[in-house]
Amino acid sequence: MEATFVVQSHQNKAQDECPNLYLRPLDVADIDAFMVWATDEKVARFCTWEPYTNKEDGLNFIKNVVLPHPWFRAICVDDRPIGAISVTSNPGSDKCRGELGYVLASEYWGRGVATRAVKMVAGTIFDEWPHLERLEALVDVGNLGSQRVLEKAGSEREGVLRKYVILKGRTRDMVMFSLLSTDHRPT
Amino acid sequence: MEIDMSKITLRPFKLEDADDFLLFAGDDQFTENLRWKTLASKQEALDHIKDVCIPHPWRRSICIDDRSIGFVSIFPFSGDEDKHKANFGYGVAVKYWGHGIATKAAKLAVSRFFLDFPEVVRLEAYVDVENLGSQKVVEKAGFQKEGLLRKYAFIKGKSRDLVLYSFCPLIFLLLQAKVVIVKP
Repeated sequence: MEATFVVQSHQNKAQDECPNLYLRPLDVADIDAFMVWATDEKVARFCTWEPYTNKEDGLNFIKNVVLPHPWFRAICVDDRPIGAISVTSNPGSDKCRGELGYVLASEYWGRGVATRAVKMVAGTIFDEWPHLERLEALVDVGNLGSQRVLEKAGSEREGVLRKYVILKGRTRDMVMFSLLSTDHRPT
Repeated sequence: MEIDMSKITLRPFKLEDADDFLLFAGDDQFTENLRWKTLASKQEALDHIKDVCIPHPWRRSICIDDRSIGFVSIFPFSGDEDKHKANFGYGVAVKYWGHGIATKAAKLAVSRFFLDFPEVVRLEAYVDVENLGSQKVVEKAGFQKEGLLRKYAFIKGKSRDLVLYSFCPLIFLLLQAKVVIVKP
């Protein structure tokens, strides 16, 4: 299973932008890198969480959420985590469906990093989880950047779900995207 | 058969509905798009009424002359993050299809549900892409189509493409009043 933990990008197009982009598990040793994006209010804007204010909360998140998570990876550039991407699974007969989420340090926005990370996940998750048929992602209607990421990564925009989530006390409309195991897999 | 629609009512289920329940829920065509197993005996019907229908947060029997011919269920999600949403589902005995009973029951259910659960702002109905009859029912009851969710769920041995519909009471009322909604 070791080989599937480290997922590398073979895309030549963006090689000069963030070469050596890869995914690997995130650990407590990555706490300082984690705090860079976790404390950033620009990053937290469309997330369910408020920016982190202390390292202990960050360590607790890594220990209690990241380590036991079914599929959670750090997005690394120059051997340093600059974000994270994850796939959550569903129980029982809903295990055909998984939800994609990601977060990226704002310094690396606009360089195609998130798009490449999503493509890497799409290229590997259906092989690692043969029961998975659908990888979906929900994006706030106001989050145009992430909508573009998912479109560029080859996802199908399925519709706008009204008042789908409560985010920081307000109901929000969310755009639903999906990638199927049978879709042309991005390379 | 002519149906007097004024005789269509909703009420909670009773154990006494077991025989009628078995009549409709014992039919594979009835359960085809539901996650339920087709019922095979009166005992199963009694168990289903006792263990599922009666404790359900909001399930009603669709009745003709107070005899049960189907159900409507609205299930609020649990948890702080999701309790503003609820899932809508229904079934009508196959022999009563085609008369508009489901549409009437859906309209009655939706209006009454929000009186009981005012904190819910979104009802969702997931309808199989091939189930055109049910799509028409929810549309006539005021649900809006949001999108086709591909291979969303695995039901009765098949991956299903489901059309997602929602009913948001505030938006519904504003549209009824022909208020123009301008996004900020």
